[in-house]
Amino acid sequence: MIRFERIGKTFRGRDGAAVEALRDVSMDIAEGEFVAIVGASGCGKSTLLRLAAGLVPASSGGVSIDGSAVTSPRAETAMVFQAATLLPWADVLRNVTFPLRLMKRIAPDTEDKARALLATAGLAGFESRLPRELSGGMQQRVAICRALLQEPRLLLMDEPFGALDALTREEMSIELLRLWAARRMAVLFVTHSIPEAVLLADRVVVMSPRPGRIVDVVEVNLPRPRSFDQEGTDEFQRCARRIRDHIFGNRAARAA
Amino acid sequence: MPPARHERLARLKAALPAWIAVIGLFLAWEGAVRFFGIREFLLPAPSAIWTATVAVWPTVLAHTGSTLLTVLLGFTASVLVSLPLAMLIASSRAISAAIYPLLVVTQSIPKVALAPILIVALGANEVPRVIVTFLVAFFPLVVATVAGLLATPPELIELGRACRAGRVQELLRIRLPFAVPFVFGGLKVAAALSVVGAVVAEFVGADAGLGYLIQTSMAFFRTPLAFSAVVILAIMGIVLFQAVSMLERILFPWSSGAENSAPPSA
Repeated sequence: MIRFERIGKTFRGRDGAAVEALRDVSMDIAEGEFVAIVGASGCGKSTLLRLAAGLVPASSGGVSIDGSAVTSPRAETAMVFQAATLLPWADVLRNVTFPLRLMKRIAPDTEDKARALLATAGLAGFESRLPRELSGGMQQRVAICRALLQEPRLLLMDEPFGALDALTREEMSIELLRLWAARRMAVLFVTHSIPEAVLLADRVVVMSPRPGRIVDVVEVNLPRPRSFDQEGTDEFQRCARRIRDHIFGNRAARAA
Repeated sequence: MPPARHERLARLKAALPAWIAVIGLFLAWEGAVRFFGIREFLLPAPSAIWTATVAVWPTVLAHTGSTLLTVLLGFTASVLVSLPLAMLIASSRAISAAIYPLLVVTQSIPKVALAPILIVALGANEVPRVIVTFLVAFFPLVVATVAGLLATPPELIELGRACRAGRVQELLRIRLPFAVPFVFGGLKVAAALSVVGAVVAEFVGADAGLGYLIQTSMAFFRTPLAFSAVVILAIMGIVLFQAVSMLERILFPWSSGAENSAPPSA
């Protein structure tokens, strides 16, 4: 449904020098597909996400959804950031409905849908709490609900569990898969955790830094529903090793 | 509700050391004046100040009312000017570059120097006094509000843009609410400074007000009355400050606790 075609992106750095963030990135994501992007810091993963969201324009090449070029933010995409970025003045329910209120897409059943969604995310009873009263994991759940309530066809996630502790992170990954299985939108998930990428995705796109390029695409042939029990399987290890080799092999070669 | 009562009790407990300190200070003051036999026109004892105030209380009340009017008008003016000005500054780099130096100029001019000029130009009435009060109070409010508007996390702005919010929507729905704790930080400073501004203006050109009372009292060495005016001014500042704090707690309960997590960078 979304196609990246020979994307190049160059930023002007603070010192005025041009920084090439992405070079010649091409890929397709199918309807309902879960794609993870893995790479070291500075490989342009987040830039790719912002291009897909229509928040920044490409320097060359282009992004298109169902054949029409993405030039500005669209209703069919929603985004989850590394920080929950909730509105500190609004309670959980109003945070979740905020994007729809901003876009004037409020329907009579929006609030019921929001409550149901919060309940499936384990947040029943917290609707009228303020963000500062919630733990980091709960805040991020609210942020995910906020994105899902927009019923996006493409969910963009920028290291959504990056700020959480390891235990919460595993729990949240499984929960995300459960929410995704019930809706089946396409997901583009940026992370720098290799196990997380393998656990979640149908395909893992491996990127190399400076400039960001795709070095490999790893198909993960593990049955769904996924769980951390699969971490011991040969397929999981094969995928993880292949990704690791690309990321660290690259670095070892440069150091030599 | 028990939690609310518990909270009130806790707040009372937190305020206790402050009360003890203030009462202790006054007792030490009274004691020192009596013990060393300090003459009244040099340093009056608290009891002497009280007696002097009660003796002419209708006059003191009238002067207090006059100052309070100037303070409130100047404070209101500073709020009405500062908030739109801050939004203008925060909205555009060019406007900010044009206005900020002018603001700094208004701040580097001593208001005491400006007051007589304004009074000659505008006449010895309420207007120049309100203007001086406004000039003293509005700057920290502008700075704090601008800081708040610009401190909005970039992700929140991005979220707004991803939801196709325009610039006006972004300002009203995201930046402005986010700035509320900062605005109240500025309002508290402005409230306290309004009292300073009003007294400065009254020193120069007024026939009423606590500033005027201080000057006339001292001219006749009626030191206790001057001290009385100073104490009333202090109380006025504290009450205004607390009123702003209370307003914040009532209108924006999420904000009063948020101050700790988002200290104004100004």
